[in-house]
Amino acid sequence: MIQQIIVNGAISGSVILLIAIGFGIIFRSARFFHFAHGAVLVVAPYAAFQTMKWVALPLVLVLPVAIMTATALGTGIEVFVYRPLRHRKAGSPILLIASLGIYIVIQNVVSLCFGDDTKSIRTRIVSPGYDLYGARITGIQFITICVAIIITVGILILMKQTKLGIAFRAVANDPKLARTAGIETDSVILWSFVLGSAFASVGGVLMAMDTDMTPTMGMRALMMGVVAVIIGDVNSFIGIALGSVFLGMALHLGVWKIGTQWQDSIAFLILLIFLLFRPQGFLGKKIKKATV
Amino acid sequence: MEYLLHIFVLIGIYVILSVSLNLIAGYTGILSIAHAAFYGVGAYVAALMALKLQTPFLSNVFCAIILTGIFGVIVGVPSLRIRDDYFVIATFAFQVITFSVLNNWVSITSGPMGLPAIPQPEIFGWKVSSHWEFLALVGVFAVLAFLVTRRIVESPFGRVLKAIREDEVFALAAGKNVAAYKVLVFVIGAAMAAVAGSLYATYITYIDPTSFTVMESIFIISIVIIGGAGNLWGSVLGAVVLVVLPEALRFIGLPNSVAANVRQIIYGALLVAFMMWRPQGFLGEYTFRKGDQG
Repeated sequence: MIQQIIVNGAISGSVILLIAIGFGIIFRSARFFHFAHGAVLVVAPYAAFQTMKWVALPLVLVLPVAIMTATALGTGIEVFVYRPLRHRKAGSPILLIASLGIYIVIQNVVSLCFGDDTKSIRTRIVSPGYDLYGARITGIQFITICVAIIITVGILILMKQTKLGIAFRAVANDPKLARTAGIETDSVILWSFVLGSAFASVGGVLMAMDTDMTPTMGMRALMMGVVAVIIGDVNSFIGIALGSVFLGMALHLGVWKIGTQWQDSIAFLILLIFLLFRPQGFLGKKIKKATV
Repeated sequence: MEYLLHIFVLIGIYVILSVSLNLIAGYTGILSIAHAAFYGVGAYVAALMALKLQTPFLSNVFCAIILTGIFGVIVGVPSLRIRDDYFVIATFAFQVITFSVLNNWVSITSGPMGLPAIPQPEIFGWKVSSHWEFLALVGVFAVLAFLVTRRIVESPFGRVLKAIREDEVFALAAGKNVAAYKVLVFVIGAAMAAVAGSLYATYITYIDPTSFTVMESIFIISIVIIGGAGNLWGSVLGAVVLVVLPEALRFIGLPNSVAANVRQIIYGALLVAFMMWRPQGFLGEYTFRKGDQG
């Protein structure tokens, strides 16, 4: 039993991680809660669904199209909404409200086009999966965990080794100072939207391949990502990874001990406890109280 | 005619909700998406008392106000430690947890089945049952909520709220007990939302948790923002526009299934458009500008 909880926790943790890392990248560079992230991740599997309807290609070949569509959407939101707002010196609450509005619009457009019922992009029959030390895991779940690990390692290397990563960290640390040093903050933020949206769409597709999809699944998935980011540490990708895995395990422990219907409550109670008593997350250092 | 009166009753209920949220968000500057949680708790308390204890309407409203007010303390206290955007997430958390409790605590709330056959209000022998009578009742409460809130924001108390909104550290330095003000504002706002909830429950005579979701909270904050944060007439105008505009869709012949989505698309797009070109809303004086973008 306990093996199954660990495996299930790792699977949920991996999906949460894909969304949390994308959200974290955007949050660190642009500094606001990008709610529309939850809509971007829903668009990817629906784009795959629609493309498969048009052309009879296997899912693997359709995936790039799906991920590119969603990434273009996320990037478009940045270019056409957030950037003009930033240039008007809009504060983070205004960006947050605007992103809520965008979320509502996209989610309802998806609902209008595809209906609110569950759609599937699974092509094969659900398999019983493989045996892993007494726990069951399906192929797609195994792939999810691998993808999450690859993306985490990739982003760590990107942040440490590349020019973009260094510029990103500079902007995340102090946008004004970064601009004085000749870094184009707008283009760094643009790239973080590209990367963040791409990761979110990979997460969305994997979610849909595991448990099918509805237009409203994005908000819940996004909120799990946000919880993971806050209980990990906003400023560290390893923190975000730990937060995601911790949250995934906690959710499945909760399912086992309390019941599925209380999953959301468990996640948000954990969030409230962290916000109140350890707002810097697991790994974050305690900083001086910010001046208002 | 019935239909028109129904729209007016809804507008009245949303005026109470948006005016009370305006006190929290517009005047004190604390963005909150937990208002549907207060609304829902108020509705459930009033409905359950009427159903299980058969107590009269006014005492149900009174208990709903008290209990929701206490809930307001629970949501308000974290605002002392958690700031700005993080507090928005915290209110989101309260909202989701409240919905989840209403939905899953089946032995009390009967969960997704909802509470049917809630008795209509009876006030000192006056049985409120027709649309006209409900309009009168809701109208009285809406005017009352408006006047009470206006009295609050125009008093010295209200000036302190605005001071907290504009510069919290300055308000502290001027010797104001910022913590007490913030919590009190949540209690007042929650209490008014409870009144709206009690009215809604006894008017529709059926409630289920889906009326009190995150989306409902976002809808209420949209009324406040689009109408104008920090202006009470703005909230009234916002409630009228956002309730009537989607109803107009019925007349251009959209089927019901589509209309629900189109309605949400409209107010989502309105939110974005207002943030882009008129962040203070129709009549507002405040634009959530906290959080420096550098």
